Amino acid sequence: MSQQHKPREERGTIESYVTGFAASLAFTLIPYFLVRNYHGTGKTMVVTIMALAMIQLVIQIVFFLHLGRGPKPRWELLFFYATFSMILVVVGGSLIIVHNLHSNMSVGDQEKRLVDSEAIYQVNGKKTGACQTTKANHRIVITNGVVSPLHITADQCDTLTFISQDSDTHTLVFGNDPTHDTYAGQGEISLRRDQKTDTLTLSEVGNFTFHDSQYSSLTGSFLVVDSSGY
Amino acid sequence: MSESPLSHHEQHEAAANERVHFGFWIYLMTDLLMFAVLFACYAVLHNNNVGSPSAKELFTLPLALKETLLLLTSSFTCGIAMVTARRGRQTATLVWFLVTFILGLMFLALELSEFHEFIHEGYTLQTNGFLSSFFILVGTHGLHITSGLLWMATTLFYVMKRGLNPPLVRKLGLLSLFWHFLDIVWIFIFTIVYLGAYV
Repeated sequence: MSQQHKPREERGTIESYVTGFAASLAFTLIPYFLVRNYHGTGKTMVVTIMALAMIQLVIQIVFFLHLGRGPKPRWELLFFYATFSMILVVVGGSLIIVHNLHSNMSVGDQEKRLVDSEAIYQVNGKKTGACQTTKANHRIVITNGVVSPLHITADQCDTLTFISQDSDTHTLVFGNDPTHDTYAGQGEISLRRDQKTDTLTLSEVGNFTFHDSQYSSLTGSFLVVDSSGY
Repeated sequence: MSESPLSHHEQHEAAANERVHFGFWIYLMTDLLMFAVLFACYAVLHNNNVGSPSAKELFTLPLALKETLLLLTSSFTCGIAMVTARRGRQTATLVWFLVTFILGLMFLALELSEFHEFIHEGYTLQTNGFLSSFFILVGTHGLHITSGLLWMATTLFYVMKRGLNPPLVRKLGLLSLFWHFLDIVWIFIFTIVYLGAYV
């Protein structure tokens, strides 16, 4: 019998099917009982059951499909490898792309960004920390580089107006010199010749200091307290 | 030499077998690509249950194991049936394929009962992304099983009518390849969809 035309009929034997069946049963029951007796979630488990499935795949290919046992050249095997690579690209690629999208564009992140930038008071009945309405107004006046009063105590959601009576520009930043912190998302208060006042909504609770970014002696502080049961 | 060389006709037949077999293999591989895309969809969408029960709350593992064992055994009996068919034993071939057919039918019945239960509880293809991808993936496999069963029934009918001739053996060979292929796809459904829901 010429090797070139060895008929396909010669391939599968009862023994090979029995071996394949027994091995397949084993590799079905092993992951099943692993998962049943294992509580919780874990990457190790995912990797384990996927590895067992790949072994199962190889068993079925060898004992049931008899792939790679035909006459050479083995076009079927080649075609199988090509398909397998395409599957890796499609499935692996989809998972990577969507995972990336999910971690960068999750609903929670987007919501937080929107709440901060638009000062949204509540989302689905849950308060976000932004103020719905403002209450009393406080003033801090800067005259000849002197802050008056030096300290203010205010309730949350009051407003604080900075007024400059100097001809110089004052750029007030938060924190003790030389730190430049932000207050409620705002980086600085700019008081210029053409716009001498600026108002803050005191949505953030705590004790804060501010100073002029040029004249470090020009400093002041304000305390925002949560007294409203907000 | 104990074996006589193949006659011209037999060589021709063997070459034709190779060609048909390879053509069918190409079909199987493209079908596998389609399943891969459906698997990718499932992998991406399986957490999007939007308030409805999650995969873990919905699936029961013993049912999935039963389905797997039925299909695995049918794949085995299908292989045995092919061995007997290639040895020209018509009655044994018919019996083994009948066993395969019944196991396949039982698998399909279990799958349909599971689908029916979900739909009855109000969890349908349109409920959420997770269920859409689940029904499409598992349903596509179920459709393949259905067409495999129809193919098996008609081929067995011809075996009974005309006897086990070489073209019919070749057809049964392709059918068994198709059946083993569906078993392999199911192994991944079992692992990724059912076991995957619990880890």
